[in-house]
Amino acid sequence: MVNAAKPRRKHWWQGILARSLFAVIGMALLLGGASGLIVSQTIGEREHQKAVRALNELLDTVESTASIASFANDEQLAAEVARGLLRNSDVLRVVIRSGERELAHVERIRAAAAPAANPGKVGAGESAALPASLSNALLRPLISPFKKNEVIGEIVLDADWPAIDARVSENAKDTVKLLMGQMALIVAVVAALMIHLVIRPIKKTSDQMHDFGPSSGMLLGIPEGHENTEIGSLVMGFNDLTGRLMSTLEQERALQKQQAVAQRKYQILFEQAASGIFIADRDGCLESFNHAFVELTWLPAQPDKAVYLTDPGWRTPESLLSLLRRCLDDSAHGGLVEDDFILDGQRGDERWLHVAVIPLGDGSVQGSVTDVTLRKKEELNARHLAHTDSLTGFANRTGLQQALSVIAQDSPPFALVMVDLDGFKQINEAMGFAVGDQLLLMLAARIREFAHEKDSIFRIGGDEFALVLASEHTRGTTRERLDRLLVMLASPYEFSVQDKMQKIALGASVGVAFYPADGQDLHQLLRNAELALNDARVAGGHVYRYFEPAMLTAVEHRQRLEDDLRHALRAGDLYLAFQPIVDLATLKTTGAETLLRWSHPVRGMVSPDIFIPLAEEVGLIGEIGLMVLEGACRQLAVWRQAGLDLYVSVNVSVRQIPDDLPPAVVIGLLKQYGLPPGAIALEITEGVLMRDVAVAQTWIASLGVAGLSIYLDDFGTGYSSLSYLKRFPMGTVKIDKSFIRDMERDSSDRSLVIAIVEMCRSLGLKVVAEGVENEAQFVILRELGCNYGQGYLFSPAVRGDDFAQAAARIDAELTAGRVNAIGLAKTD
Amino acid sequence: MNVRNTLVGLCLLLLSQFAMADIVVVANPKAGIRWLTRDDVVNIYLGRYRRLESGLTAEPIDLSGEPEIKAMFYRKLVDKSLAEINAYWSRLVFSGQTQPPQMAANTAEALRRVAARPGALAYVERSKVDRRVVIIFEFGDE
Repeated sequence: MVNAAKPRRKHWWQGILARSLFAVIGMALLLGGASGLIVSQTIGEREHQKAVRALNELLDTVESTASIASFANDEQLAAEVARGLLRNSDVLRVVIRSGERELAHVERIRAAAAPAANPGKVGAGESAALPASLSNALLRPLISPFKKNEVIGEIVLDADWPAIDARVSENAKDTVKLLMGQMALIVAVVAALMIHLVIRPIKKTSDQMHDFGPSSGMLLGIPEGHENTEIGSLVMGFNDLTGRLMSTLEQERALQKQQAVAQRKYQILFEQAASGIFIADRDGCLESFNHAFVELTWLPAQPDKAVYLTDPGWRTPESLLSLLRRCLDDSAHGGLVEDDFILDGQRGDERWLHVAVIPLGDGSVQGSVTDVTLRKKEELNARHLAHTDSLTGFANRTGLQQALSVIAQDSPPFALVMVDLDGFKQINEAMGFAVGDQLLLMLAARIREFAHEKDSIFRIGGDEFALVLASEHTRGTTRERLDRLLVMLASPYEFSVQDKMQKIALGASVGVAFYPADGQDLHQLLRNAELALNDARVAGGHVYRYFEPAMLTAVEHRQRLEDDLRHALRAGDLYLAFQPIVDLATLKTTGAETLLRWSHPVRGMVSPDIFIPLAEEVGLIGEIGLMVLEGACRQLAVWRQAGLDLYVSVNVSVRQIPDDLPPAVVIGLLKQYGLPPGAIALEITEGVLMRDVAVAQTWIASLGVAGLSIYLDDFGTGYSSLSYLKRFPMGTVKIDKSFIRDMERDSSDRSLVIAIVEMCRSLGLKVVAEGVENEAQFVILRELGCNYGQGYLFSPAVRGDDFAQAAARIDAELTAGRVNAIGLAKTD
Repeated sequence: MNVRNTLVGLCLLLLSQFAMADIVVVANPKAGIRWLTRDDVVNIYLGRYRRLESGLTAEPIDLSGEPEIKAMFYRKLVDKSLAEINAYWSRLVFSGQTQPPQMAANTAEALRRVAARPGALAYVERSKVDRRVVIIFEFGDE
């Protein structure tokens, strides 16, 4: 409030009285000076004129006498007149002339010694002392007393001008002095009146105001006699204003009190809030912040210094500032802007803080800071879980995709290695998931041991792992590591099953693709690595394969082939061929193996080795297998009608058993074509037996009961477990052509064939040798006592319509003993 | 006095005025003066100068008696009353050096003085002029 010390005047001359006096005196001096000047001028002139007039009047009085003297030329009278004139103190010289004649000449000697007013002592002769003519001389012509118009002489009167002027100026001075005196008097009176009428009341009121307590509520008194003057109304106005101010002040005080209470409430809230609260300007300079803010942000104490929002160890302070700017600039959107920021502590710890700011409208923002570290960690954990395999702790496929998704144009090269454990599925099925998990953990441990520090490991499927080998980008450097990986993974896994230690040896397939050479992006790279892995798997496992563009080509090729196969199946481009099977004892054609042929309109003949696995893979095998079986039955029926007593074997894929080729369907077909059960043999491979023993056993058993014979195809290539021969009711074994091919040169192969033949004979099984190509093999097989032979030596597979002819030729040639001459036409 | 007397007196006065109206200035014929101008007469009678052309000093004679003639003369000459003329002379006589004309008691004495002195001048009625003097100025001539 304005109850400060009285604003005393610093200097007396600043008062209204002094100012007014100065103004009045100044004006008086100015006007007095000016009017004095004018007055002295005027008085001077007037006095001068007066003097001249007086002299003229003086001349008037003597004029007639002088004119008489002049008329009469009476010098004596003239001198008398002149002297009379000189008595006047203003007259200095008088000359009276009559015509040219000077009648009288008198003058005053103005020497200091000579008294001025002492005429008569001068004569006409002394006129030389003065200048001959004085410019201001008065000249009065003398008229003849008897003739009106006749000028008979003149009086020349020289006045004492300096004396006159001195007197005149003396007069003027006196007048001015009088004037000044009057003015001074007026000024004094005016000042006195001002003091009395104006200054004193104002001063009194002013002093009252100074002693005026704003809260006392008293009123100023109106100076006496000023009830109706301006001062009175001023005081009343002041009192009125004071009254209003007082009431406003009261309201203000009440409001302040109220605000103070509110302020205190908010202050407590502010200080004790668990969230950090701050107010900052555009540059992040903190205007205020609470204790929680300091705690949360680990704000370093720095007294006597402006604190900035960026002072704590934010990891990205600039994005925090941009949050502030966004809040201030985009306040149109409701104002609140928020985000999470990481704070790095002194000891390497970090904290997640949620910062929300809202504009206050004055260019600053209010913000709150809350610790969201826990939530963030949970989120991270959840994300981690989503990306992590819970068993091994490696990242999962999503994690791999995540990891690879950040691949950029300038990422350093690396190798993506896919690992697949061969035969894990079987182990898992046979021994249970518990064992499978143990196995996986051991495998994971080995992979972890193999990996370098910078490498990353992912479990992307049941038994499929992926490794990102950092900085590896050439085959040369990875070859050694991959060899070692295979060795590490191939060593037997030891674990206990029901307190019994067991050892299992499993190989692994490995596919490798390099970034960026084998794929610029996640999708390509993953696919190519999988292709390489697949290639390794196809190769039989326990190998690694680098991705080759050819693999991609092969895949694409296969895709097209699949399309073509589906098309061929519908269009009937698939047809059956039959390769004769010869009884080596009787040298007669006794049967045939049904083979499927595909004559591709563009590619020509496509090998079954290519399209059968494809059909198996894409699920066409069931349809195709049924078609083959039916075709074989139909052909057999035709032959039988033609009198050919033959049997036909049909290959059955692992995939067809049991659902794609139920025994009932087979039996139904035989009945449909009126064939005896023994006329059809079904060739299965060891894979069938290995896959699901129980299912295979049931399937085989039901067909065997129906009277069909089962051939075990490709014997010797797989596990060739002898127990199979015993467990499954099979009639015939087909020795794989790979053993037959080198039989005559390779003694071990021959021994194997001998063993198989001997074993089968002892088990009561028939043996068919496949791939008999020359006479030597034929001879050996006959000597060994192999039951049947099949191969180019006898005939390639031929069309059903041509079979009778081929069979007849074979029989004829074998009978003639001209085995050598059998044509090996390679039409098929 | 009765009205008749007054009228008679007035008539007499007018008659006398008319009768004495003609005044001339005469001089001694030996003075050698042929003729004077009015200014000459004024200057000589009123003291301005007294020297004549012939070198003689003019001696004007005034009349102390016969005031009507004297008054007529001065009236005619300078259109002044006798009082004015007297005032004029009194100033000059009182403080100056110039002397007024000599006085003659009457016209007869004046004529006698003129006849006796060559420089003397006098004003007389024309009717009074005789052989001893010559007229040197008469009013109305100029």
